Amino acid sequence: MIEYRDIYKAFDAPVLAGVSLTVPDGETLAIVGPSGTGKSVLLKTTIGLIVPDRGDVLIDGESVFSSRPGVLQEIRQKAGYVFQNAALFDSFNVYENVALGIQEHEAKRLGQREVARRVWHALEDVNLDPRAVLPKLPSELSGGMRKRVGLARAIVGRPQILLYDEPVTGLDPVNAAAVDRLIEEITEKTHVTSIIVTHDIEGALSLCDRIGLLEGGKLRFIGTPAEFRRSDEPLVRAFADRQAAALTAMRSERGSRRSRRTTDLESTGRPS
Amino acid sequence: MASVAHALTGGLRAVGGAGESVARHAGEIAQLAWQSVQATFRGQVAFRDFIIQAYAMGVESLPLVLVTAILSGVVTSQQGGYQFTGSIPLYVLGSVVTNGVVLELGPVMTAIVFIGRVGARITAEVGTMQVSEQIDAIYSLGRDPVRMLAAPRILAGMLAMPFLVGLANGVGAMAGMVAARSTIGLGYQSFLYGARLFWHSYDLFYSLMKAEMFGFIIPLISVHMGLLTRGGAEGVGRATTSSVVFMIIAVLVADALFPPLFLN
Repeated sequence: MIEYRDIYKAFDAPVLAGVSLTVPDGETLAIVGPSGTGKSVLLKTTIGLIVPDRGDVLIDGESVFSSRPGVLQEIRQKAGYVFQNAALFDSFNVYENVALGIQEHEAKRLGQREVARRVWHALEDVNLDPRAVLPKLPSELSGGMRKRVGLARAIVGRPQILLYDEPVTGLDPVNAAAVDRLIEEITEKTHVTSIIVTHDIEGALSLCDRIGLLEGGKLRFIGTPAEFRRSDEPLVRAFADRQAAALTAMRSERGSRRSRRTTDLESTGRPS
Repeated sequence: MASVAHALTGGLRAVGGAGESVARHAGEIAQLAWQSVQATFRGQVAFRDFIIQAYAMGVESLPLVLVTAILSGVVTSQQGGYQFTGSIPLYVLGSVVTNGVVLELGPVMTAIVFIGRVGARITAEVGTMQVSEQIDAIYSLGRDPVRMLAAPRILAGMLAMPFLVGLANGVGAMAGMVAARSTIGLGYQSFLYGARLFWHSYDLFYSLMKAEMFGFIIPLISVHMGLLTRGGAEGVGRATTSSVVFMIIAVLVADALFPPLFLN
């Protein structure tokens, strides 16, 4: 279980202003909200990547910021973190990137053959062909493949908690849907506790057990997807309407670009 | 009166701010150095990373270091020859060039090249890792950036710098000897006689001590500045510039402290 207790964090301006939240074991929680409202900051406090100015995060009753030596290490071993832009190490190939976490903590216990087997399976679990991608450097992969390798790196250590920071940002709709499907499959297969920070409200509603709206540094709404859809709270409605309008604008922009291209092709025989 | 007080308060605030910033950097650098030393003595530094860094720092820096050393030796020899002609025995030039190169120009010019070629690269590399969340990823995987990034680079710097400075000293002195012959006609025997006349073996040790110190502080500051990087590509550029300035000042301050501490 993950508990956020009255989290405050300010950089130049306040970002989180008293967020309290409990995520039971096995739950998938999505956190949505406008940009700059501290969603990623909240996610990073979960494994101590950012230390809050006030408040505490407890994982299975143990404070992430406890002074007990080794506690942060133990908590980080329990969690897998999927970064917004995958955050793969440029100078390491895919094998080294995915194996890095377990090489540190479990290689002695498991042996190199088992480490290699786990890396192989993790890549298969994210629908990548291990034979093809293992020796490649991150620069040789597409954006979607990098996200999948980042996901494989997060699950290879068989974590109890998975933290996703904008897992579909920057992906085209096909790849975004594929990553959403992967998250769903991994959650169903492993029953891990998941927190997904995202802008993709439709994807979030289809994936999560509960959804939270973070705005102005505070949690303005928390409930099931059905409650979110039904909610008549002004902030929830305003956010959902803004997201829907942005999605419609994006689709119509894409449609008009496509029809412009078709017209150009018809008139000149060349793409513009 | 009020404007004088205002200006005074502003000046004091600026001095206080600068002092606080220096103290904060010093504290963080000392902590990074201590953690790197601990990682080294606990055997937690990957040998492969150390070798890769040592090669990049030592072997790949060699051509530029040698060119700088040759030019330093030639210029010292020519300027010394110009000043000594008709005043003091020319063989003294051998001592001036050799000691100038070994005690000062070899270590300092090599350090400046090292800052530009290695220190700036490390800050840009670690800074890019910071802004692209790769440092966070290292932490999230339960690994330690000090062990992965700082310690191998510091150890490699401490190995590469004495090697580079040793070569720069030899090549710089020889270039000075050749230049002395071609410009003022001072023969090799006379040059070597002058060089031996005032030579102390300790001078070479002193030169290598400087090299060791610079090899320690340049990677240390460059990693520290890289880890402080914020704000995308622009932030990486800013951090790299600040880091180069910081490293040059640190090297020159350390260089200025060496004579009173080690030359008596």
